[in-house]
Amino acid sequence: MSAAEKMSRRDEMETLLPFYLNGSLEGAELEAVEEWLASDPAAMTALGEAEAEFSGTAAANEAIRPPADALSRFAKALDAEAGPARPPAGQSWLASIFSRVAAMPAGVAWAAAAALLALVLVQSFERPGGKGSDFEVAGAQDDLAKLPFALVKFKPDAKMADIAAFLGQNGLKIASGPTADGVFHLTIPASTAADYDRLVGLIAAQPFADAVMQGRKPVDGG
Amino acid sequence: MNAATETDRALVDRVAKGDRAAVRLLFMRHHARIYRFVARQTGSEMMADDIANEVFLELWKRAPSFEGRSEVSTWLLGIARFKALSSLRKKKEDWIDDDAAAEIADGADTPEVVTMKEDKAAALRRMINALPEEHRTVIDLAYYHGQSVTEIGEVLDIPVATVKTRMFYARKKLGEALKAAGYERGWP
Repeated sequence: MSAAEKMSRRDEMETLLPFYLNGSLEGAELEAVEEWLASDPAAMTALGEAEAEFSGTAAANEAIRPPADALSRFAKALDAEAGPARPPAGQSWLASIFSRVAAMPAGVAWAAAAALLALVLVQSFERPGGKGSDFEVAGAQDDLAKLPFALVKFKPDAKMADIAAFLGQNGLKIASGPTADGVFHLTIPASTAADYDRLVGLIAAQPFADAVMQGRKPVDGG
Repeated sequence: MNAATETDRALVDRVAKGDRAAVRLLFMRHHARIYRFVARQTGSEMMADDIANEVFLELWKRAPSFEGRSEVSTWLLGIARFKALSSLRKKKEDWIDDDAAAEIADGADTPEVVTMKEDKAAALRRMINALPEEHRTVIDLAYYHGQSVTEIGEVLDIPVATVKTRMFYARKKLGEALKAAGYERGWP
């Protein structure tokens, strides 16, 4: 290797050293730097200089101190931002629809809910188990013929939002409904009779529950 | 997965779904570096404060279109760079001069005090701050922000070969400045 070639190679290696130090070098360039460091006595001195630059750059940057209240000010600004149109975090198309219904007056909401559920029941077979942040509608993957269930009628002034939250918290799913009488068919996630009784009792205890009728109940040991 | 181990990309996915808490987590992870990057680009901590906030509001708006082709940190630096340049253009200011850049990071020491107490490390730091902006930026991006040659090209919107050329001259100038100040160095 001529002196000029050696100098050119050294220039190239010196250019790559910062990237060797920050761990971003890879492939042939990484191999070349490692080979240079192993074979050229001057290379370790060069590495030491680059390390000093590394420290100096870090110190120069960290001397700049961001304001202590930056996060709280940003959080306020963020709260004021609508952002692009998108559903709220983790909320499905279905939960989104129900959240709109929940905002309606009770009488209108129940009429709307009846119409929506008819749509939901059709679509839940196209989008099995449509899952929302609040609750799920039983989908095609749920074997409705075997699942424990109860028939539930909600009070006319019950809020959809309260019901949706309750269903979601307890893993309850709407399988069908409402009927002309306002009765919903809910699947109950119970594997034992005791679980079933507890959940049905819990539904009945809710202020929005008007009536609860037991349906299929698990048979212990069966 | 808890917040500390959740990757930046996973957080951006959450942001894209409208999760404001995920934006705040990304803010906590990256704000200081973005703030410092902009402060060194513009020479103004006031501008850095405004622009760093805008970068994260931009993240909130643009997360659904983030395709994950680059690291989140590189993406944020690119947005910060663009906003810093736009703000400077709007204010019809030119790039910060070297003295002002040095002042941001070095505090209020007079030149005499600097000379008296300066050792090689302090001299190097002052010389890094005094580099021309285009050279200092590649030094900052490589040494402080851990960016690769390709990523620096993305942030600055310049070819990889230009990144290497700037790095070469930045390091060469540092070597010459150290040598002129009486510190021995093997290269250039």
